[in-house]
Amino acid sequence: MTVAVERRTRNVTAALLASPSLRLVGKRLLMAIPITLGVSILTFWVLNLVPGSAAQQLLGVEATEEQVRALEREMGLDRPAWIRYLDWLGGAVTGDLGKSFVSDQQVTSLLGERLVVTFELVILAMVGSLVLAIPVALLAAYRPNRLFDRLSMVVSVSGLSVANYVLALVLVLIFAVQLGWFPAIGYVPFTEDPVENLRTMALPAAAIAFPLFCFYTRFLRGDLVDQLLGQDYIITAQAKGVGPWRVLIRHAFRNSSFGLITVVGLNLSTLIGATVIIEQIFAIPGLGQLMVQAINTRDMLVVQACVIVFAVVTVVANLVTDLLYAVLDPRIRYGSS
Amino acid sequence: MAAVDAPVATVAEADAPRPRRAWVRKLSLWVPAGLTAFVFLACFLGPVVLPIPAPVGGNVLESSLPSFSPGHLLGTDPNGNDILSRILHGGRASLFVAVTVNVIGLAIGGLLGALSAYIGGKVDTVIMRLLDVLIAFPSLVLTLAVAQSLGPSLTNTIFALAFFSIPAVARVARAATLSLRELPFMTAAELAGTPWWRMLLRHIVPNIAPQLITFSMLGMGTVIVIEGALSFLGLGIPAPNPSWGNMISEGQASLSATPDLVIWPSLALFITVLAFNLLGEALRTQWSGR
Amino acid sequence: MSGEPTARQTEEVLDLARPEAASRPSADGPLLEVRDLRVRFTRGGRVVNAVNGLSYTLGAGEMLAIIGESGSGKSVSTRALMGLLPPSAQVTGSARFEGTELIGMPEKQMRAWRGAKIAMVFQDPARSLNPTMRIGAQIVEAIRTHSDMSKKDAADRAVELLKLVRLPAAERRFYEYPHQLSGGMRQRVVIAIALASEPRLLIADEATTALDVTTQAQIMELLVELQQRLGTAVIMISHDLGLAASYAQKVVVMYAGRAVEYATAEKLFANVRMPYTRALLGAIPLLDRKTHELLPVIPGQPPDPAALPKGCAFRPRCDVATDRCLEPPALEEHEPGHWWACWHPAGGDGDTAGARTGGEADEVTVGSARQVKDGA
Repeated sequence: MTVAVERRTRNVTAALLASPSLRLVGKRLLMAIPITLGVSILTFWVLNLVPGSAAQQLLGVEATEEQVRALEREMGLDRPAWIRYLDWLGGAVTGDLGKSFVSDQQVTSLLGERLVVTFELVILAMVGSLVLAIPVALLAAYRPNRLFDRLSMVVSVSGLSVANYVLALVLVLIFAVQLGWFPAIGYVPFTEDPVENLRTMALPAAAIAFPLFCFYTRFLRGDLVDQLLGQDYIITAQAKGVGPWRVLIRHAFRNSSFGLITVVGLNLSTLIGATVIIEQIFAIPGLGQLMVQAINTRDMLVVQACVIVFAVVTVVANLVTDLLYAVLDPRIRYGSS
Repeated sequence: MAAVDAPVATVAEADAPRPRRAWVRKLSLWVPAGLTAFVFLACFLGPVVLPIPAPVGGNVLESSLPSFSPGHLLGTDPNGNDILSRILHGGRASLFVAVTVNVIGLAIGGLLGALSAYIGGKVDTVIMRLLDVLIAFPSLVLTLAVAQSLGPSLTNTIFALAFFSIPAVARVARAATLSLRELPFMTAAELAGTPWWRMLLRHIVPNIAPQLITFSMLGMGTVIVIEGALSFLGLGIPAPNPSWGNMISEGQASLSATPDLVIWPSLALFITVLAFNLLGEALRTQWSGR
Repeated sequence: MSGEPTARQTEEVLDLARPEAASRPSADGPLLEVRDLRVRFTRGGRVVNAVNGLSYTLGAGEMLAIIGESGSGKSVSTRALMGLLPPSAQVTGSARFEGTELIGMPEKQMRAWRGAKIAMVFQDPARSLNPTMRIGAQIVEAIRTHSDMSKKDAADRAVELLKLVRLPAAERRFYEYPHQLSGGMRQRVVIAIALASEPRLLIADEATTALDVTTQAQIMELLVELQQRLGTAVIMISHDLGLAASYAQKVVVMYAGRAVEYATAEKLFANVRMPYTRALLGAIPLLDRKTHELLPVIPGQPPDPAALPKGCAFRPRCDVATDRCLEPPALEEHEPGHWWACWHPAGGDGDTAGARTGGEADEVTVGSARQVKDGA
């Protein structure tokens, strides 16, 4: 029994290693590095389009020319851009992203405390959207063009047209102000009080998750119905006498799941970017809120770090999606023999 | 013949979606088109034609009037400005930004993507990498960074939004051109000695245009929403000039007391984005066959 | 060669060896009796008559070939038998399988029968198999849908089925995905799936059309072998008269949703009656034709099922049509065991189309004679 299992595991690993999918993933990993570098360069360039003003902002409007110049020299802002960049890059590689102008705290530690919060928000939103989208799409595809299907499609299409910050405020109006079920703003760490934590995260996660839910539902339902109508293996399954739910889930959905993974991956950047504005509305102390605050206070190094983190996370997330896809889809995993 | 000889069974007793009757299809195109036209007309012609007060410089004595007050159909904000007027003028600004950004995106992004795919080789790879870097950013994040750098103003907002519109269109244009390249008529034209600019203008552009325009139309909604987000955060269209985004942001402060301040601009935003999305969908079905 | 089963081994496991069933006429009447089957589609106001009165009988263990062009309704008719048509289809007529009426059977009951009593094999094996499911799993699904076997037992049974269809390295293939197999192998898998629950009738809908000629022959041989070994009746749907000639016992020629000629294979090819059948035969490219000669094709197009011509549907393309043909001819047994629907059938023996057709008839007769000898 164990011998057979061992042999099978070895076979699977051998297949994986020889497979085109690993080569694909390896290639993408290699490409991720120059992309990350490019991201940092672009960020630096964008944020320093008007470099001197950082010092100007800090000192305020009344500052004299000399004071501004002195501060610039002190902050090292008078050096040419590319030198500043390399300096920053050198620090970044060793883990030093500089210090906040405002709070004098190490940027890395600032990021650290915020990252966890945003991570939780993102996970909640993603899981929430999928957990709702999949059953709704399945039910809709089970009886296409009947009431449930049409209703869910109307909701999806409308939902996609709602801006997430608008939705956030509407949610606050209904669930916080009128019903009082959830707090309008604020955050409680998970370690402190799990229940309260979820209560404070519920509305923000919902605001981010709802447009995604609409998108996924629409996509999945369309893909399922396409398969039910057009694919031969569906009729084969029916000709076997397999029941309708099994056909839908074991055959149609199984194939749709790959498209779904791709779509989730494509939307990751939207998901991550949405935290910026949602955290601001709900006063969630995450990366997004940090970035907005830093922007308003002209805390350059913090803004820089935040932007780069957002971009890098997106790149990594896309990479993971590709990896998942390559590993799960048997057509890619095994190639043709 | 295939439709008869290859019937397909659906999972349950429900019927497969029939090919839409002609009038349903017509309706799904013309209703959103009409709605979009209405929005444009309302925002650009409304303030000219209708007796509506100016969006700024309102009378403080008339502040915070509720909706359906006499003389102020949608009420006034804490500064005494007429909400309806602000919505229409804000719409002007938002729509202007959206259209401009889309035109720029189509022109520059479309050309860039098509050229990149057409030229191919090293040039294509380099441009692709650049696009990858730009697309790696969540759209709001990059736009925020640019907007913050430059400061809030109408032109800066357009510039910032173009930063993410151009790569998005370029990618689609590139993909479309790549698949176009495989077609025999392209090889035929090349063999006939057609110069590259003529290839582009006469062969590539007309064929990728429908796809690009559809993508652009669907992207209009996104642009408006993101511009709204920028304005919401104070980095887009600067106060006191109205934009739906900054109106919503201002209204947030008194959300429980006067929700109307948030509701009206939100509704305007929703209707506009919905109209664009439906129009984009209809165009897509129209132009890609079923 | 470890994959090749001995005959005894397969019989022991499957317990299905009924070589005598193939030649034994069913005591309680024919296996399948189709009477005046009609299928109509109503889509958005348009009425499409896909099948306009089809009748035939099939005995246990027999192979019937349904031949026709695209749009002749051949596929639709068999899907009607299995209840696999969309709800926009209205099916009338009768189809009795082992005495039970199939038309109008409630869906739940039909589902219990699909795969268990009647199974279907489709045209394109690349698309008929779920690309994301292992082959073994797809067969096991077919087995467990109609039985309470444990997963392990079903897996063993699946491997035996793969061996039965002569798939090399069956145990290994069990764990593989469809795209790792060649076209011929995939079709064998599809047949294995169809046979999983030991159906009495197997419908092969253009099962070999998507395969190359060599593989086609292999699959047909396999079907015949299975037919004889397991006593399964086979309905073979095709546009290829040659295949019908080589393998089937009975042939139904369909045109525009109706049977226009119906006979045992030997009778049909010995004396082709219906001008359409004759034209089909004549259109088969042969090695002994003169080079650079135009291939005889049937002029015109098959009729649109939504707008059938008045009278005999073949009239616009028939070279012996007269005004008499404006009245639709009925399918009648003009000779014992040979039915046709034509006012001007090709007359007598040694028919009028010329030496070439006569030559084909000889070839074809030889084929059917071979069939008869093998026992069916």
